[in-house]
Amino acid sequence: MPTSIIGKRIPKLDAPDKATGRTTYGHDVRLPGMLHGRILYTRHPHARILNIDTSKAEKLPGVRAVLTAADNPQTKFGYGKDNTAFKGDKIRCLADAVAAVAAIDPDIAAEALSLIEVEYEPLPAIFTIADALAEGAPLIHTERRSNRFHTYRYSHGDPDAGEAESDVIVEASYKLPYVSHACMETSVIVAQFDHRGHLTLWSTTQIPFLLQRDLSEALDIPGSQIRIIQTAIGGAFGRGLDIYPYEPIAALMARKTGKPVRLSFSRHEEFMAAPVRQPAEVLVRAGAKGDGRLTFRDVAADLDVGAYISWGAVTPLVMMETAASLYRVPHVRFSADCVYTNNPTTGAVRGYGNPQSTFFIETIMDQLAEALDMDQVDFRLRNANIPNSETPQGLIITSCGLKECLEAVAAAADRGAESEEWGAEITNYQLPITDYQLPITKPHLKRGIGFASTLNVGGGARIYRSDGCGATVKVDDFGHVTVVTGSTEIGQGSETILAQIVAETLGTHLHDITVINSDTDVKPWDVGVHASRTTFIAGNAAYLAAVDARGQIFETAAAMFGVSADNLIAGGGKIKVKDDENRVMSLSKAVRKRHFREDGQVVIGEGWYDPPTKLVDKDTYKGNISAAYGFGSQMAEVEVDTETGHVRVLRLACANDVGRAINPMAVEGQIEGGAQMGLGYALTEEVLVKDGRVLNPDFLDYRLFTSADMPAIETIIVETDDPGGPFGAKGVGEMGGTPTAAAIANAIYDAIGVRLTQLPMTPERVLAALDKKRGKEQTLAKFDSTLTC
Amino acid sequence: MKPFDHYSPKTLPEALDLLAQMNGRARVNAGGTDLMLKMKAGFLQPEAIINIKRLPELKGVTYDETAGLTMGALTTLRDLTRTAVIRDHYPVLAQAAGLMASEQIRSFATVGGNLCNASPSADLAPPLMVLGGTAVIAHQNGVRELSLDDFFLGPGQSALKPGELLKEIHLPPPTGQTVYLKQSPRAYMDIAVVGVAVRLHQVNGRCREARVVLGAVAPIPLRAREAEAVLEENLVDNGRIAQAAQIAADACTPIDDVRGSAWYRQRMVQVLTRRGLTALAAP
Ligand SMILES: Cc1cc2nc3c(=O)[nH]c(=O)nc-3n(C[C@H](O)[C@H](O)[C@H](O)COP(=O)(O)OP(=O)(O)OC[C@H]3O[C@@H](n4cnc5c(N)ncnc54)[C@H](O)[C@@H]3O)c2cc1C
Repeated sequence: MPTSIIGKRIPKLDAPDKATGRTTYGHDVRLPGMLHGRILYTRHPHARILNIDTSKAEKLPGVRAVLTAADNPQTKFGYGKDNTAFKGDKIRCLADAVAAVAAIDPDIAAEALSLIEVEYEPLPAIFTIADALAEGAPLIHTERRSNRFHTYRYSHGDPDAGEAESDVIVEASYKLPYVSHACMETSVIVAQFDHRGHLTLWSTTQIPFLLQRDLSEALDIPGSQIRIIQTAIGGAFGRGLDIYPYEPIAALMARKTGKPVRLSFSRHEEFMAAPVRQPAEVLVRAGAKGDGRLTFRDVAADLDVGAYISWGAVTPLVMMETAASLYRVPHVRFSADCVYTNNPTTGAVRGYGNPQSTFFIETIMDQLAEALDMDQVDFRLRNANIPNSETPQGLIITSCGLKECLEAVAAAADRGAESEEWGAEITNYQLPITDYQLPITKPHLKRGIGFASTLNVGGGARIYRSDGCGATVKVDDFGHVTVVTGSTEIGQGSETILAQIVAETLGTHLHDITVINSDTDVKPWDVGVHASRTTFIAGNAAYLAAVDARGQIFETAAAMFGVSADNLIAGGGKIKVKDDENRVMSLSKAVRKRHFREDGQVVIGEGWYDPPTKLVDKDTYKGNISAAYGFGSQMAEVEVDTETGHVRVLRLACANDVGRAINPMAVEGQIEGGAQMGLGYALTEEVLVKDGRVLNPDFLDYRLFTSADMPAIETIIVETDDPGGPFGAKGVGEMGGTPTAAAIANAIYDAIGVRLTQLPMTPERVLAALDKKRGKEQTLAKFDSTLTC
Repeated sequence: MKPFDHYSPKTLPEALDLLAQMNGRARVNAGGTDLMLKMKAGFLQPEAIINIKRLPELKGVTYDETAGLTMGALTTLRDLTRTAVIRDHYPVLAQAAGLMASEQIRSFATVGGNLCNASPSADLAPPLMVLGGTAVIAHQNGVRELSLDDFFLGPGQSALKPGELLKEIHLPPPTGQTVYLKQSPRAYMDIAVVGVAVRLHQVNGRCREARVVLGAVAPIPLRAREAEAVLEENLVDNGRIAQAAQIAADACTPIDDVRGSAWYRQRMVQVLTRRGLTALAAP
């Protein structure tokens, strides 16, 4: 179908206001009489609270309330229903809140915190999985009999038989780090009660409707009395997918003081108290036949989920999807143990388990290809997923462009770093003087190329009983269109995409469309913004609502023209009779005719879309969780300094099967933004945790890739026209960063013959691995002065 | 942040009087890119801030072939990257400053602040030391001069006494060639895991004078005098370079911290010293 707005490169509609400082973020919200809250965190990772004395803090002028567990509900909440707002008797991690103060300014609140006296009895703390599972280990949650929260066991085929029939078998163990969402905007919330006792929250949540329910439980007030207004969100990446203690705490302070209360995290607090990406220790075995066919995979993962259960403990669902269904593998076994410790609580971060599993699956693929002496790309093509197939796990793959993605990045590799496409960008790359500008010979610099692919849900992901989203489309008498969607804009560009879908369907102009998506009192239900689902799910809902509205307008227009509605088409803000150029009227005219008459009607279309998918079976973990699957491949070329261990990524080619690019510019933005996170995961980002404490809670020592560090990126869009997606589109939000670490690790191996199995691959770790290859342990105090590799 | 008084004196004597009156309870603020962070984090809680940005005596850069270079303490990192006499005669300063922070921070951050903050990883300390820099320190009764070799006493501790201000830095006319090498995970916006500045003055193929100063591997920016000694009066060939690099690595006393392990830092001293010397020794 020819389209006029779908498929166009359109800058995000909300970008100019964001770039010029007009947008209202959570940190900008100020209400009359508003107080400032601060949280007192514990000083011990595992302890019993003996006494809390708040009397001095209460007397400090300017303090309006001091809250502790004593006077507040102890209802459990969170994904694992094991967390509370305040901790009254037991402390389980350093992010536990002991008390909170509401005061007339933030400095007074901070001073009041220092006046609260807490007496603790420290308990032996647990920081490793081994310690947590040891015989007689202290229980972190005493009401449970074990520190093991859950064990996932998945299998298909007969892994032992698969192993027996393998011609090559490889094995490796991996260690994956904590990383932070590193949102530009730290966590923030403003809470206010009105005279009816109804609560309004200004929030950066990604799940407004589930949060209503969660808060209703945590605060013991009906969900119908909670309204959530989402401010513009300055980064989310999964951070806003659960309820966290600071949210009920803000509401409790507002209730106690009768004033609006604002709680905003410092950067330090954000690193310490916000969730982190699930780390893992993983053992992987895999095999293949001499002809290159995969035979089996066996994955065993240990997950330290921290002190409370949030979404980190559910990441094995995605890890197992990659293990079981990325490429065609007849026999797969996957197990994961999720274990409580006194470490930071783990959550969902963009890609949700997939960057972790893609790292080990795709580096193992590299080892297999090497063992078989096969070309890296050919080996992957030999095993690639194919369209219109069902994986043994039960994923129903409709459109699939994995082959095209692999071929595209292989072609990019062949073009070479010095080719015209790449050359200019690579020389523009800002070089650290240390290694590159010295007039010395550089035998220490080695180059290599690596590949990796990814499979990601692209048509929603049913992890809740509904994966639905509602939408309405109102067309007014000026021809202005208001799209009200249940979905949430978190910077991914959903407002623009939904506006494009509705504009295309109604045949109107983009500038006539406004998208409203931020108020639970206004918008219809949606499960939340996660799993790359918004374009597919909210897009389908908006499309259905637009079709409904168009039908209403066409009914009136058809009567005016005296033709049947089937004979009408819409475009450019006008309604036309097919094959009759002279019979045209404006969309708004038809709407006015419908409104302003006896028995008039407003034009409001509605749509609800819940994809044809299933929750996975709770014992076998099989089932079709998504209505479509996205695919992608990346090629990284690196240069490794064998004396410093520094890895410089020269270029990254990213090909993604997105079904159809509704807005290619927005797709590129998602892929490049994803790659930025993937590069950090690969090379620089790690929340360092020792004894439960974050050692680098700032952007000085938590290193994101900055614009100056970014390599040249080539984005390649592969279109496969998915049958279920709006205009053929599938999700792309998470794939951009998922294969990056594996592609880089494989490139490093190509360059220097060393396999890195721990992320991030810092200069120190690369050099230590090189030392090991040279037969030296890195702790040697003395070293050879003329290192050669 | 704790409340504090704020003063903006217009002349150096006025500032020095204020400093003397406050007797250690005030902090001077230049670019504020170190100070404000420490105050926000609660590490420093001065009763007063004395803004020195308006003091004309602390501004300006002058160069003379025989006297060398004098630059005010308020010279910004951006000035270092753009001022013609610096780029022409002391290019290592432009190069080192160009590796620091970001364009925004470089427009605020000053040379004086970088030195007085006395971080062992301060990027300007090693290059200014190998260039033979002298600190000109002002106090109520006049000025005193101190070689930068003696300026640093420990992490966060300079030789400035209460009531003293760093007025300017003096450099002798340049001899030989100088390079500064910085190792950090990121190319920009990063603190040095190791920084090495090397100056080599060769006459007729022999080393007349050598300077090697190491950053971030000891409590203070460290002059590797033994490494200098094996180079001076000798032919700087690969063997000598390897020897000097090894000695430099042995001289440092790095720690394990979140930015790097001691073994890695020591190793980088060796690699960077060798690379720097190799580059400078090349005919
Ligand atoms: C994002 C970021 C990146 C950075 N990157 C780097 C980097 O790459 N390399 C690096 O070395 N540093 C870096 N820094 C640290 C800092 O920017 C530099 O050290 C800078 O040169 C400090 O100068 P300032 O004028 O801002 O000092 P200020 O913060 O104003 O002062 C620092 C200290 O020196 C004292 N002081 C300042 N001037 C004088 C004077 N004339 N006499 C006496 N005392 C004085 C102050 O009282 C204070 O104690 C970075 C900082 C930030 C925030």
